[in-house]
Amino acid sequence: MLFVILPVIPLIGVLLLLLKRNRAINLPFVAGITVLVLGSLGLKSVFAGNGLTFRLPLPGPFQPTFQADPLSAILVILTAFLFFVVSVYTPKYMKHEGGIKGFEACMLLTFSAVLGVFTAGDLVTMLLFFELMTITSCFWVIHRWNEEAIRAVFFYLFFSIIGGLFLGLGIVMMGAATDVLPAVGGGVVIPSDSKKFVLSMVLLVAGFGIKAGMVPLHLWLPHAHSAAPAPGSALLSGLLIKVGAYGLIRVGEFAGWGIRMESELNRMGPVLSVLGVCTMVAGVTAALLQSDAKRLLAYHSVSQMGYIILSLGIAVFMGADGGLALTGAVYHIVNHALFKAALFLGVGVIYIHTNETNLYKLGGLWRHFPVTAALMLPAVLGIAGAPGFNGYASKTMMHHAVSAAAKTGTGWMLWVERLFTMVGVGTAASFTKLYYLMFLGKPAGIKVAKNRAHSLQIAMGLLAVVMIAIGVVPQLFPDIAAIPAVQALGMENASNTLAGISFWNFSDIFSMLITLILGMLVCWIGLKSGVFHRQPPSWLTLEGLGKLAGQGILALSNKAAELYGSVVKCIRNSGSMMIRRIYSVLGKFGQNRNSTTGGVTLSWISADTALIIIALAFLIVWYTLINPGLSEQRLIYMWIDN
Amino acid sequence: MPDLIFALLSGVVGSLIIAVIPQVRNRLRNFAVLFFCAAGTFFSWRVAIAVFAGESAEISGEIGGFPFVLSPDPLGAVFGLIASTLWLFAAVYSFGYMAGKNRQRSYFTFFLLALSATLGVAFSGNLIALYLFYELLTFATYPLVIHERSAEAMKAGKRYILYSLSGAGAILIAIVVTYSLTGNVDFSGEPILAGHRSSGLNFLLILFIIGFGVKAAIMPLHRWLPAAMVAPTPVSALLHAVAVVYSGAYGILRVVYSVFGQELMRTLSFRYIFSWVIAFTILAGVIIATRQDIMKLRLAYQTVSHLSYILLGAFTLQPWGLAGAVMHMISYSMLKITLFFCAGIISEHSGKTRVSSMGGIGRQFPETMAAFGVATLGMIGMLPLNTFWGKYYLMKGSVAAGMWPFALVLTGSGIINAVCFIPVVVNAFRGEKAHTNSGQKTGVALMLAPTLILVVIALFTGLWPGMVWPAVQAVVNWYF
Repeated sequence: MLFVILPVIPLIGVLLLLLKRNRAINLPFVAGITVLVLGSLGLKSVFAGNGLTFRLPLPGPFQPTFQADPLSAILVILTAFLFFVVSVYTPKYMKHEGGIKGFEACMLLTFSAVLGVFTAGDLVTMLLFFELMTITSCFWVIHRWNEEAIRAVFFYLFFSIIGGLFLGLGIVMMGAATDVLPAVGGGVVIPSDSKKFVLSMVLLVAGFGIKAGMVPLHLWLPHAHSAAPAPGSALLSGLLIKVGAYGLIRVGEFAGWGIRMESELNRMGPVLSVLGVCTMVAGVTAALLQSDAKRLLAYHSVSQMGYIILSLGIAVFMGADGGLALTGAVYHIVNHALFKAALFLGVGVIYIHTNETNLYKLGGLWRHFPVTAALMLPAVLGIAGAPGFNGYASKTMMHHAVSAAAKTGTGWMLWVERLFTMVGVGTAASFTKLYYLMFLGKPAGIKVAKNRAHSLQIAMGLLAVVMIAIGVVPQLFPDIAAIPAVQALGMENASNTLAGISFWNFSDIFSMLITLILGMLVCWIGLKSGVFHRQPPSWLTLEGLGKLAGQGILALSNKAAELYGSVVKCIRNSGSMMIRRIYSVLGKFGQNRNSTTGGVTLSWISADTALIIIALAFLIVWYTLINPGLSEQRLIYMWIDN
Repeated sequence: MPDLIFALLSGVVGSLIIAVIPQVRNRLRNFAVLFFCAAGTFFSWRVAIAVFAGESAEISGEIGGFPFVLSPDPLGAVFGLIASTLWLFAAVYSFGYMAGKNRQRSYFTFFLLALSATLGVAFSGNLIALYLFYELLTFATYPLVIHERSAEAMKAGKRYILYSLSGAGAILIAIVVTYSLTGNVDFSGEPILAGHRSSGLNFLLILFIIGFGVKAAIMPLHRWLPAAMVAPTPVSALLHAVAVVYSGAYGILRVVYSVFGQELMRTLSFRYIFSWVIAFTILAGVIIATRQDIMKLRLAYQTVSHLSYILLGAFTLQPWGLAGAVMHMISYSMLKITLFFCAGIISEHSGKTRVSSMGGIGRQFPETMAAFGVATLGMIGMLPLNTFWGKYYLMKGSVAAGMWPFALVLTGSGIINAVCFIPVVVNAFRGEKAHTNSGQKTGVALMLAPTLILVVIALFTGLWPGMVWPAVQAVVNWYF
């Protein structure tokens, strides 16, 4: 129950930050370490199987609820650790970029919001913190206020807002399908209206998918993550997109992990898998073509999120045997957060000393930055999946899961497996390129500032230590954290499916090494042949297509507005013309006797006389032609009767 | 009962007193305005609290042989609360805005008279009283619309009065028909037309909807609203985003729930047509808004769109939908008035009225544009703001009524709202920080304070919707 103070701690930090004048204390650091310590101590009991819930007893329709189960606990601790690391890094880095106070305030607010998402106990509370996170983190994206940042923030805000609206609609549909909104972490939902339930699942997946950078909703991600300052990028890429993955896992929980889903919902597995593979391939392909280090990393975030989404899809697809895939996904969430944060921080170190992130203008920097180069290495090897580093463990698990799914004999799953391997090669190639062009290779004639700051390297070192620890003892994390989490989610026999997996067997290591070597080969060929400089035609990229579609919509709306305008004008003209005519005719009735109406036929007869004549003529015609039987007598009778 | 009389009279008495205060006695006049606005707010709060507690107050009389009843019920109490409370904020804002301007006396006279008319609309207990106050509101606000007396203002005033009076004419016919059908125009108790079954009632519904729809700015009848934006900004904010337009929306809520009643409405086939017209208005209004360059026009078209949210809630005929409509009435009014206040501060202190010229304006007015940004998020329907709850229950109501496409319409409208206003906010903060503080008129604090307080209230009610929930629940329980 006391765990609800975790999101409050950074808020206190914000208050202090706004109040204090001197900048002696690094408040995000204090908040980070407090949450880290309190979180690890307080949430330890969660892994033993007793989840925590708390309901804020507010009168009214909205009572924020909070819960903590092992999955939440893992992510809370991960969040606290990353914020702690980045807070060590921030002051020195932001001295270069400026505006540290605002940045740190946003950092604390985002910290609170992310913790809130991870501990939210119902969907509306989750949405609340989700939206808060969007708003506070957009200040990171726009921090530089240049053209690129403004463009990026538009992308970021529009996609996030659309995501939030989808989530809102999904929650409404969920409420309609289940009568009472299901609690997060509450297990399987039995819907009373399965059609609405499926619709709500689709909306929720789309909403969280936008945050997770799922193709084709990933367009915002490379812009936003490369426009932010390095600590912001590290947190955006390392942590904030994990909120999307976390949401997807929670949504999956409503449908039920570990059980075969019924009717329409069983398509969710294949759909998620295919989306995941598309995300992987699109991310890695785009990343290979980038020349900017931060954009390259951002596209790899897309690609790595693809791994996670694919694993979730396979976990759904495999039903009760999906424990391996789900554990792999949770594991990869943690690993990706660590190495992607380290990579962004490393690129940030280079950036503040050289003012350059274009890879082709860097080179041979290991002489200037030996420590940074050494600390980047575990991260690069980790993301490429080299044995002995953290990415290897989770990628192996996911690879096993994909192979197991392929063995079920589904044709397209074989292709998923092949693509999985190919994306591994692409990742290796891309990071060989990054590391080679940045640290090795020919020294570029770029000016390198001299002042070295140790806090930057300390932050990276903290990440490197954890990464190497995970890489050396890969079983530890699944055993103590991931498996309880997955079991709590409903995959009862997760530990059984994992029992057969050993990380240090020959075939896995061998295949990973082959992947790495192939990747280096691809990188070498690419650099030699200049393929990496090719830019695809705009109609082939999603962004170009989006732009074309946008222009089309704009042109259409212009046409529609034109049409509307002309119709309105036409109606108004004809209306005013009619009114003018009527006025002019009626006006004549009010004029003097000697003026006339009707032109030739009625000339010399005054208007009121004309009216009487018309009326009489009408009466005569009426009574003689239309009603010929009517005689004068009846007219007289009518008079008498009255 | 005395509260009700005091609430209604405070505006009239205030306007009479202000009419005799000399033109130059600005401070005395401002004090009197504040006093009578506060009195109106205080007494309408007392009325509302009594109504929510279940007590009933009634003033009945006779006008020309027709019954004339004032008796607030929860829906009226909510409207009265919104109007009178925001009147107070707008009054304070007006002191800043009108400082040093001409014709302050006529401005504040009609400003207070309109308060009484609005409260009359809110507290009316039968159709006759509603009609009379509705007409009175038109006449009380006409001088405010033409306040500038420019050619454009006179033209807008002409359009305003023509639209409003034609609408009122339609209502009058509809009331006569209703009276001849039932001999009863009272809102209390059963819906007036309950028990009647006739397809001809569809046409009666058309008359009512056209009549009130003029003020609620349903799409073909909305053209007076953007035109009336020539009025001074506090007037635009209060009358054309909250009070006048809400009296139309309130009238439609009344027609749907008190005149026809939800059972009868369900049998009328024309409600589907109206639902689609309303959905069209929601989308078309905000799409047109994206194409406006003048800030106030942009806000006006957004008003057109958002008023239809409320009507959509009315036409779902579901408890959730009605709750959403009431919630949206409460929350939207706060944020819309904030947006107008911000636009007014900017146009007053920098002379910029066009969106395209507002690049970097946020560096000059950081608090204003921050408030504008927060209100924009509310217009989209994002969570820390209270409008989310209105939208949430509207969507819930649409889905519960089996009209889920309207939930999509609401979502789409949120997206277009983002397209419409997010660039304004972001562009406002680009560029260098302005060091010059020139051109700052006095009274910026008076204009800024109500704006910021409203934003804070909106945030607070967004985080804790339970604060306004008793009011919403009272309305829903009254009709369902």
